[in-house]
Amino acid sequence: MTFRQRIRASLDNENLQIALDNNARRRAEGRRLAFASMPDHQERRAHAHAVRADVVAHLDEYLDKFVGKVQENGIIVHRAKDADEAVQLVLAIAKESTQRAPSLQRGTKETFVNLSDLGGEKVLVAKSKSMVSEEINLNHALEAAGHRVVETDLGEYIVQLRGERPAHIITPAVHLRRQDVGQLFHDKLGIPYTEDIPTLTNTARKVLREVFLTADIGVSGVNFGVVESGTLCLVTNEGNGRMCTTLPPVHIALMGIERLVPTLDDLALFLSLLPRSATGQKLSVYTSLINTPLPGQTRHLILLDNGRSALRNSPLAESLYCIRCGACLNACPVFRELGGHAYGSIYPGPIGSVISSGLVDPKFAYLSQASSLCGACREACPVDIDLPGLLLRVRAGLSPQRTPSTTKEGEGIPSVVKLGLGLFRRAAASPWLFSLGQRALGLFPLPDWIRIPAFTGWGYSKDFPRPAARPFRVRWKNINREEAKDAKDSVARVDIKTIEKPTTPNINLIDLFSAELTALGGKIVHVTTRDVRARLEEFFKERGVDCVLVDDVGAKYITGIASVREPDATVSCGVTGALCAIAETGSVVLVSGGGQTLTASLLPEVHLVLVKKSQLLATLAEALTKREIQTSSSGVIVTGPSRTADIEMALTIGVHGPGEIHVFLLDDSEGA
Amino acid sequence: MGYNWGMSETVQLFVTCLVDTFFPETGEAMVRVLNRLGVNVEFPTDQTCCGQPAFNAGLRAEARPLAEHTIRVLERLPKSSRSTPGGGKTSEVCPVIIPSGSCAAMVRHGYLELFKDDPQWLARAQALAARTFEFTEYLVDVLGVSDLGARWPGRMTYHPSCHLTRSLGIERQPRLLLAHVKDAEIVELLEREDCCGFGGVFSVEHPELSAEFLKRKIANLEKSGSPTLVVADTGCRMHIQGGLRRQGKAQRVVHIAEVLASQ
Repeated sequence: MTFRQRIRASLDNENLQIALDNNARRRAEGRRLAFASMPDHQERRAHAHAVRADVVAHLDEYLDKFVGKVQENGIIVHRAKDADEAVQLVLAIAKESTQRAPSLQRGTKETFVNLSDLGGEKVLVAKSKSMVSEEINLNHALEAAGHRVVETDLGEYIVQLRGERPAHIITPAVHLRRQDVGQLFHDKLGIPYTEDIPTLTNTARKVLREVFLTADIGVSGVNFGVVESGTLCLVTNEGNGRMCTTLPPVHIALMGIERLVPTLDDLALFLSLLPRSATGQKLSVYTSLINTPLPGQTRHLILLDNGRSALRNSPLAESLYCIRCGACLNACPVFRELGGHAYGSIYPGPIGSVISSGLVDPKFAYLSQASSLCGACREACPVDIDLPGLLLRVRAGLSPQRTPSTTKEGEGIPSVVKLGLGLFRRAAASPWLFSLGQRALGLFPLPDWIRIPAFTGWGYSKDFPRPAARPFRVRWKNINREEAKDAKDSVARVDIKTIEKPTTPNINLIDLFSAELTALGGKIVHVTTRDVRARLEEFFKERGVDCVLVDDVGAKYITGIASVREPDATVSCGVTGALCAIAETGSVVLVSGGGQTLTASLLPEVHLVLVKKSQLLATLAEALTKREIQTSSSGVIVTGPSRTADIEMALTIGVHGPGEIHVFLLDDSEGA
Repeated sequence: MGYNWGMSETVQLFVTCLVDTFFPETGEAMVRVLNRLGVNVEFPTDQTCCGQPAFNAGLRAEARPLAEHTIRVLERLPKSSRSTPGGGKTSEVCPVIIPSGSCAAMVRHGYLELFKDDPQWLARAQALAARTFEFTEYLVDVLGVSDLGARWPGRMTYHPSCHLTRSLGIERQPRLLLAHVKDAEIVELLEREDCCGFGGVFSVEHPELSAEFLKRKIANLEKSGSPTLVVADTGCRMHIQGGLRRQGKAQRVVHIAEVLASQ
């Protein structure tokens, strides 16, 4: 299908149009509300732009430092210059990865994932959402080699089952409605047809839980690499990212070379912008901070160039500032009509129309013409990328040319329009000819508005104005120029009001934390050092919990019931401590290391966290200054219960991670 | 902004090819408004088009001669701009006034991009950009006026054009001017910041997409219950009015200059 045909197909698809309108409206509103709580939004945006500009300008130095740190941390680093190299690296790792001992589920009858044909060198790959993996077409290559790949983000899983590619970089199944998913799960997974989103989500949870527990390799993307610490930061809402990076014995992280931030302080800045822009959240549910491999785990990082260096050395370098939040897609009126698939490239929307010709295929230069240059994308961009300016550069043939003469000026413009613009230029370069043309057109005895035919493009939906019989330049000569009047009496001065800076109310940290956590669907329980154990017992009794998964802190407080330390997917409740809690986002920060893993906060359906009041911090930036963020093996910032909005943007709680989070806030102040 | 109250100033009018050819009444209205404020208007008659259509299409080689022509024409300053009788000093340079957000954005931003690799032309483009103003911006930010004594009975709603709002940051100025129009009832347009689907060559090259934007804009105009849509960009005017005509709708699109000139 040509681009034109794909455009028409999108416009004719009623379901798609409803879904896209819904997406545009809700995302705009979500973003507006999320930034309303950030009075210094524009300053942060300008700062973020400057940080990204510095990274891209000095990319080689930053990359060297980053790679050094990541290697020091014990992660194996690979560099891939193009998609093919990256794919070969993953295949080689798959080949050498020893298979896990077949777990309980392998070969047993009641499994959704048929693994019987996997053996020998064939592996099961659990994949967390990664646009880089889409860019290099990794799934296809792995499957061609006989491996099994399962996408574990709910939206990605749905599009994979349909044999499609994501329609949006953040919301892969944005083009589908619940009926489509119900039918799909009925056909592919054999469950009774249902339109109930929680049931559909829960089905995916069951299927994918098996995958996490049996996968040989976990593959993920990376949202940010932190240069000073070598930390890999990943944000997800469902918990699948955490599963893929912690449960399989091998983890492969895929990352574009440009996705760096210099410091953890910078990371705090970007984390304040990314989720707000992407999904309207103050923070995504799970912000993973990975430093070293877990005990017994091998971690690889593949750094992909694939045209990025060429982009960096082209007039499109600014496109590398992108943090892939998808806000420009949601704001774009063209995306709102088309959805992702019609673009043809895996990167759709305004940013996709800029980078696809550089990263995916030079032929995609024509996508840049699918924009009215309205600038809504730039306005939505959290790092203030001049997307309309970059689209104009792609139109002018300034994308990096990977093969000579693949791009030229005005790519995608029909030759008849080019001819017209050329003729117009010839006329307009001469005032005499221009004026003559105007007069000649004005001579035709036409109605004020002319019904021109559809093939002209303009005539498809609008009439065309008749050129004035007497254009302005003719009238000018006769304009009765009134004597310049003294304007004193008829006009008033403008009062320029100074904009008042919003004042931040001085809110108590505990109140703020409670309010934020509660708004996310989390629960807060106020306890003291004296009654904490009794309150816990009470909680377990009410719930009929007889065994809990614990970490060091959890173990200290548990009395009266059994507890386990090793990951166990059958235990329904986890009890953990925390490094600290963040009031502004309602988050708790957990770190692993010293034999302690983070599974107690991930596998069970209920997560209970013990936080002391003295551990409560005001901001994310403060939390990231904690030494343990860098010294621990890995950390996670948990912000509310696991959730997804991948089906019809309906918020559904408890996808892969816990569906409940209870914070027991322990008053450790004196006298308590 | 250092405007010497009551002293005459001379400006150059860059009327744009669309106003010149299709909507000359907008140009006349501008001249009336400016004259009423004591501003002398000069119209360099050699002006044609700023080159935006070709530039936006990516055809920079076609855009460049028109940009050079425009710079050359506007560099010929009217005599009266340099000093005024009686020795009163006006603005140091002669302002160029443009009744269209996108054309003003072309001169202010587009030219700098077009000539970025040519230092000589870039300097000339920068000098022109520095003295170029969109019409409402000039009235409010330079002249410091808000009430022009205009009168327009009835309901009206305002469409903030994309380039005007997002590229030039001009949003407050037209609203302020409209707020002072007597007998006018200003209502808000739903989803007002959405593009109307013009976008220059876009409206011809992607007619299906352009039509969808336009449909939504017209539907929102109908919801506003306003018979009049005010714009400050002639591209949007031509586009929305063309759509209204095609759909047989009675609403009228007018340029803000015409509203401000009416009494």
